[in-house]
Amino acid sequence: MQDLNKDRSKVFVIIFLVILSAFIYKVGSLQLMDDHYEQKAVNNALNKITLYPARSILYDRFGKVIVSNSAMYDLLVFPKEVKNTNPAFLCQVLQIDTAEFRQRINDALQKSKKRQKNNSFNRSAIFYSDLTIQQYTVIRENLFRLKGFYIEPKTDRRYEITGGAHALGYLGEVTESVMKEDVYYQPGDLVGITGIEKYYENVFRGIKGVKTVWQDRTYAERGVVNNDAFNFPATAGPNVTCAIDIELQKYAEALLTGKRGSVVAIEPSSGEILTFVNKPDFDPNELIGQDRGKAFRRMLIDPKKPLYNRAVKGTYPPGSTVKTVLALIAMQEGVLRPETTHGCNHGYHLGSITVGCHPHGGPLDLVGSLRISCNSYYCQVFRDIIDNPKYGDVKLGYAALERHWRSFGLGSPTGIDLLGESGGNIPSVKQLDRRHGGRWKSSMIISLGIGQGEILLTPLQLANVTAIIANRGYYYAPHLIKSINGTGFLDANWITKFRTKHNTTIDPAHFETVIEGMSQVTKPGGTAVGTGVGDIEICAKTGTAQNPHGKDHSLYIAFSPRVNPKIAIAVIVENGGFGATWAAPIANLLIEKYLKPTAEPFNVAMRERMLKGVINQ
Amino acid sequence: MSNNSYKFNSGSEGKIDFIAFVLYLILITIGLVNIYSVTSDVNQTGFHLSAIATKQLFWIGGAALIILTVIFANVTLIDYFSYYAYIIAILLNVAVLFLGRDVNGAKSWFGFGGFGIQPSEFAKVATAMAIAKFLGTYGIKFKGWKNIGISIGIFLLPMMIILVQNDTGSALVFMSFFLVLYREGMPGYFLVSAVWLGILSIISIILEQKHVSLGYLYGTILGISSFIIYFSRKNKQISILVALVAIVSVGYSAGIGHAYQTILKPYQKDRIEIVLGLKEDHRGMGYNLEQSKIAIGAGRLIGRGFQNGTQTKMGFVPEQHTDFIFCTIGEEWGFVGVLFFFGIYVGLLIRLVQLAERQTDTFGRVLGYSVACILFFHWFVNVGMTIGIIPVIGIPLPFISFGGSSLWAFTLLLFLFLRVDQVRK
Ligand SMILES: [Zn+2]
Repeated sequence: MQDLNKDRSKVFVIIFLVILSAFIYKVGSLQLMDDHYEQKAVNNALNKITLYPARSILYDRFGKVIVSNSAMYDLLVFPKEVKNTNPAFLCQVLQIDTAEFRQRINDALQKSKKRQKNNSFNRSAIFYSDLTIQQYTVIRENLFRLKGFYIEPKTDRRYEITGGAHALGYLGEVTESVMKEDVYYQPGDLVGITGIEKYYENVFRGIKGVKTVWQDRTYAERGVVNNDAFNFPATAGPNVTCAIDIELQKYAEALLTGKRGSVVAIEPSSGEILTFVNKPDFDPNELIGQDRGKAFRRMLIDPKKPLYNRAVKGTYPPGSTVKTVLALIAMQEGVLRPETTHGCNHGYHLGSITVGCHPHGGPLDLVGSLRISCNSYYCQVFRDIIDNPKYGDVKLGYAALERHWRSFGLGSPTGIDLLGESGGNIPSVKQLDRRHGGRWKSSMIISLGIGQGEILLTPLQLANVTAIIANRGYYYAPHLIKSINGTGFLDANWITKFRTKHNTTIDPAHFETVIEGMSQVTKPGGTAVGTGVGDIEICAKTGTAQNPHGKDHSLYIAFSPRVNPKIAIAVIVENGGFGATWAAPIANLLIEKYLKPTAEPFNVAMRERMLKGVINQ
Repeated sequence: MSNNSYKFNSGSEGKIDFIAFVLYLILITIGLVNIYSVTSDVNQTGFHLSAIATKQLFWIGGAALIILTVIFANVTLIDYFSYYAYIIAILLNVAVLFLGRDVNGAKSWFGFGGFGIQPSEFAKVATAMAIAKFLGTYGIKFKGWKNIGISIGIFLLPMMIILVQNDTGSALVFMSFFLVLYREGMPGYFLVSAVWLGILSIISIILEQKHVSLGYLYGTILGISSFIIYFSRKNKQISILVALVAIVSVGYSAGIGHAYQTILKPYQKDRIEIVLGLKEDHRGMGYNLEQSKIAIGAGRLIGRGFQNGTQTKMGFVPEQHTDFIFCTIGEEWGFVGVLFFFGIYVGLLIRLVQLAERQTDTFGRVLGYSVACILFFHWFVNVGMTIGIIPVIGIPLPFISFGGSSLWAFTLLLFLFLRVDQVRK
């Protein structure tokens, strides 16, 4: 049979091969160009569930828990998945309206996009943070109805104390800029905002774990991925022993309540900070959970500035407390000896300049000048230092003084483990040049001799100076952390920073006379007489700092015992008047408490007066 | 195997074509492996047959019975029963309209407990037999409007019935018989016209969708045709032909534009627009297509490995063990696996053309081409759909997709022809 169309069989084969080529080309372009489809497939099928580690538990120096963790729950959402979810139920449980529901879904969509960028598989994002226990219970029971939603547990801080917030800091939701710097964070994560919570954030936060689960198209979990590379448990932050004595801290907070000021107490031999108080302050318990943001915004605009960390940011003229340091410097410079006496005629008179002094008897030696805090004596000492003939020039003399001052950790931050510490101010020669037109004499800057003028110290620096005197000439950078995991320290850097002994320029031999003078301050004839606490020998110095904005600030530095001091303390009470009025009793009560924790106070009336005392500005 | 069965026929007794048979076995195996994989549990280790894979094994067992039955059948009986099979198939397809189960909006299934039978699958077999029978009848030539009309009518009838069942995909398969008719002498311009009309349709739809006036298209067509007519004005025939083509084209384009705007349902428009790249939609049809592409693309060169295709296993790809089974091949076996599968499949198609061409009678040849063209059409539409070349039309990938009706129907179709080939004169 004749077949005219036999050649057409070739057309068929050609059609098959043309289509085959087209298919191979198309499949090849899908499979061989790049891996973006592979990435999409991985993104689809895996859900990386973050396992939040417990944050470091913070203990006080005696092992009492001060900050721990509590379980908290976030409601997360796969934003693209909720199109058909009825918002009514969630709106009712969370007490939000439909508009806010949509707003939150939109926010979550934006967050989830960012989360993707952070190289995470997860396309979900936080819909609602920090569910209350009631909300959590109701939602968990109804989760099956809420397609695209799931609950992720994490931890929030639980504070066992109401204070200490300026030292410990608090947590807040991570900001955009932090996330940009550190891909560890995802939107909604809590990070330390201030205090040691911020300084040691990388240590305290622990290490997040990951549980990677298969998920199907409906975002239902389909089992954990059997691959160790995709799963690892969270590592809790290490146990941290703080330097703070929480009982002393609480007592200091109680004593300072109703006033404005700071208390900083340091263990001189180690630089460990025993107490770190500012007033006004805030209760860290307000900065947890759902209302964190609201409370924070309220504090931010509070005219009392509860968030302001005076102890490291506030700078004050040290007043007479600086006389201790001046005496040491003068002895080191060879212009003052213990037996040197200067007279005082109700003050220091030099030409048109008069620095007043309160009435007191006869010429004083060094010990007496500290006990009585004679201004004339230190005006003279100050002049002797910078007009020292061996320099021949007031500027060279002053430069020597400045160098000594700086060796006490003044004029620059002490290096405490907090961020944003101020260095105070020690005027440089240049600064004085600017101020006095390049030509100046000792008489023109005489107020520096009594701790007024351009010299400014933070309460922390003042406490550190006290520790230096207690140590007879050296200090360790003050720090709030005692140890990590019981005995260990953080790392070599930390040890270098906080275990390096900083020596002053002063010969240790000079300290005893000054300390003898300080030991008489709370004794009869001393400026703080009547503030003593029985047989505890307190070496102290009062200060009263003039304040252009109002009543003088009340200052006081003290350490005890005289031999092998255990505590050095600085107290500043703004607008408190004389150092002996507020600062001295508070400091002495704290020393008493620290050295005799269980004993009844020697002077109950003084304690009550301090506890109840209110200074109205 | 009894010798008697061979002796039934007076023609030369050969064996079932070995190449085609092996290619068939490989395809069945590919199908089973991929169904096993895609329906297995996440994190599964060791051997565990899912319910679906078990069912597929059952269907394969049934297919083996069909093969045995066909191999032992008398070829003259096959020839004899062709029209009856066709009539039965038509009746069944009408009956399913009234008695059938509603599956995804289509009434094309008879339900028997947990199993279903889709008569439209068998209509392909019967139609192939009927056309082969008709054109193979002594004295019938594929000439004259009457015979051409009958030939086309033989497959248009079941096609229409199946369209009424609302199973567009299965109905479109019958268009593959146009290719068979081409082999039997249908003028080539039929195919050229079809391709031209296809191109016109696409252009018209794109213009409509983009709200560009179809007038530009008409102007272009009329301009070019005027140009041609001017230069060939001495040849009246060509001038008239070109003028006709131009007029029909413009009319057709206008019709398509109108149909697109008024007749097509929104979801049908969506499908077309997504495939034409006019619309992006990641949740509906476009979502499925995107997921399908992700699955295949994720396979890269050597695939993600057996049972590791998360796109398909986790249900991101729809119908992952039936119409979208190719995604599993692409995802788990990669480009290499796809090439292997294509090689086997196209190898079978070419082998079928070779076998068809060696037939000594029209019946065998038409049957062979029918098998080749139906398998080609399924492959083209199914794979083309999963990789986004043509609209999403739900038809199975022969021998690979899960499902008893299609496996049995394709096996029957293939082995009827192989049996005819075996005993060719
Ligand atoms: Zn005096």
